[in-house]
Amino acid sequence: MKKLEKLLGRIIQRININLRELDYDVSPFIKDLVPLNQMDKFYAFYGITPNHPLDFVFRHSSLAGSYFLGKIRARNSILYKSDIRGDELKHQGDMFHYQKFEIPITRDEGIDIEDSFLIKTLVHNFSHDPETLEKFFIRDTVSTHYANIHGSPMDGCFLGPFATVDLTTMRDCVIGTFSYVQAGEVDHLNVDPGTVWVRSPDAFNFLYRYPLNKLNHYLNFIAGRQPQGFIMDFVENRKEAFQRVFDVVNIEQSIPVPDSASLDRYAVIKPKTVISENVLVAQRAYLQNAWLGKGANAQEQCYIINSRLEGFDITAHGAKIIEADLGKTVFVGFNSFLRGRPDSRLTIGQDSIIMPHTIIDIKQPLTIPPGHLAWGLITNSKELETNSIALKDLSKISDGLIKGNMSFEGSGAGFVTAFKERIHHILEANGAFFDGEKNRGHAQKNQNISFNTIQPYPDGELQGLYPAIVIQP
Amino acid sequence: MVPLSEYATVAVGSTLFDAVLALEKAQAEFDHTKYKHRGVLILDKDKRVVGKLGQLDVLRALEPKDESPAEINELSQFGFSSSFVHRLRKQQRLKAAPLKDLCSNASKLRVEDFMQAPSEGEFIEEDAYLDVAIMQLVTGRHISLLVTRKKELIGILRMTDTFAAVFHTMKDCEIDKAIIRNHHEKIGKTAGPDYSKN
Repeated sequence: MKKLEKLLGRIIQRININLRELDYDVSPFIKDLVPLNQMDKFYAFYGITPNHPLDFVFRHSSLAGSYFLGKIRARNSILYKSDIRGDELKHQGDMFHYQKFEIPITRDEGIDIEDSFLIKTLVHNFSHDPETLEKFFIRDTVSTHYANIHGSPMDGCFLGPFATVDLTTMRDCVIGTFSYVQAGEVDHLNVDPGTVWVRSPDAFNFLYRYPLNKLNHYLNFIAGRQPQGFIMDFVENRKEAFQRVFDVVNIEQSIPVPDSASLDRYAVIKPKTVISENVLVAQRAYLQNAWLGKGANAQEQCYIINSRLEGFDITAHGAKIIEADLGKTVFVGFNSFLRGRPDSRLTIGQDSIIMPHTIIDIKQPLTIPPGHLAWGLITNSKELETNSIALKDLSKISDGLIKGNMSFEGSGAGFVTAFKERIHHILEANGAFFDGEKNRGHAQKNQNISFNTIQPYPDGELQGLYPAIVIQP
Repeated sequence: MVPLSEYATVAVGSTLFDAVLALEKAQAEFDHTKYKHRGVLILDKDKRVVGKLGQLDVLRALEPKDESPAEINELSQFGFSSSFVHRLRKQQRLKAAPLKDLCSNASKLRVEDFMQAPSEGEFIEEDAYLDVAIMQLVTGRHISLLVTRKKELIGILRMTDTFAAVFHTMKDCEIDKAIIRNHHEKIGKTAGPDYSKN
């Protein structure tokens, strides 16, 4: 255990050095966030498929409860119940398009984690940084519960609980609880909790900030304490359900799954769930009385309860949908929390976009009309009016718009187009458009995965650490 | 330099309205120059200067407090353009109370909440050269300097007075040059030696 304690101390020191200009000390936040004696209680596991590279190198690291797929390196790091999912990494011979450049990929891209501590974090997608196309690095970084590092190389960063960094290269930044950043490249920034920021330089800029007194009810994170709030309780109250799927070696599928769909064996499926063609359900997803139409998907840490998704709907990483009815092609962004009630359901019209990190929590029935963009905190129809706009109206904005706590500058049409293109790309990558022959995606490629487990030292100085492991074909 | 006795001063604890009245009185009594006083000195009970209240400070006191300027300022760090931030400020300002109400409210506020405490570079000895005063005004971006004699405040050297002195010096130089030029023309000489014949 001594070596593990020393390793944590080293990681804390390294990130504090990176964050010294922001005068930010991570140690009171993370020192006791995960008891180190937990680290030898959970096995790590990795996937083997014919569709993805098998290339893992783990050195001087703790990997407790974490999942690995693709090409991954971990050195001097602690990865606790994290998903390092390398099924969208670039392959040798691919061509990367960036502005006017066509950049050839000279070797398979790998996720490279060093001197970092990731807690229940999802790492996915690929590096969008043209300066580091073959190495998706995560260095000197701490991310806390249910954070998402999505296509975002980073160095010297601290991510609060439920924070998401998406398609952004980030250096020496603090991203507050429940904040979402998609901004291309960012450095030396301390982003307050509850900030939702989407920027494409010279095109558009969207910024929303939660009223902190209201966000605190749903999520808050104070030094020396575990993350707290209603959303944290919601997740923690359901973690027992995952115990069985992780304990059992061979698990039977409890519901019929079409040949073109994929249901991960590490997902929790509760009664009356229906999975249609081309559906993708990722590991650590939780479905209960959920109806998923053709091409819909549920990513990691998603919860879909008593809800119906008509088809081609995207439930991005960490999104939760409860007592809701979604029309076709509805996008629900990262970590959004959408809660209707049995007698007050939430209805979201076709082709609507729910921005990442949106909280909808209603006590009266509420309908978001088709083709709308919704964001921020919405608890009633008045707040929906303030925090939403028809996509066709947004497309007409050419300079700026201020609605409630949201500021938008730039081309509304550019913003809508960028989102629609991304939605199409996600559906494509997930295999939603598979026709039996063409357009294979994750739903088809991830069907046949074998899982192997690896274990740490059970005792002694190295307790909780894993031996150096190289796994290759 | 304006002697301290001719400058507007108020005591700590005065209201902004007291300060404005003191400024008005000092301006009415002061006739050395066409330039008016633009500030008020704040004195403690021992008559020591603890702050300066300029016109900008008074205008700052009129800014609505519910505007959340910090949040608006932060927009630029998120990449919003200065024109967007300006538009937002303007929008917020128009939503606030009418100017008359803001003036009425601001006049009751205490001067010490808006005054600027004098910094080290704002003091100058009475026998210092004008060049040094100019240097202090320029580098510190001050509108006046506090003139001391053995650490005791005796007056104010205003930027307007310094500028007037510089302006007069420049004029004098040009006049001298013109006189020399006229003299040379009269006696048929060029201003410098003529090497063309060598």
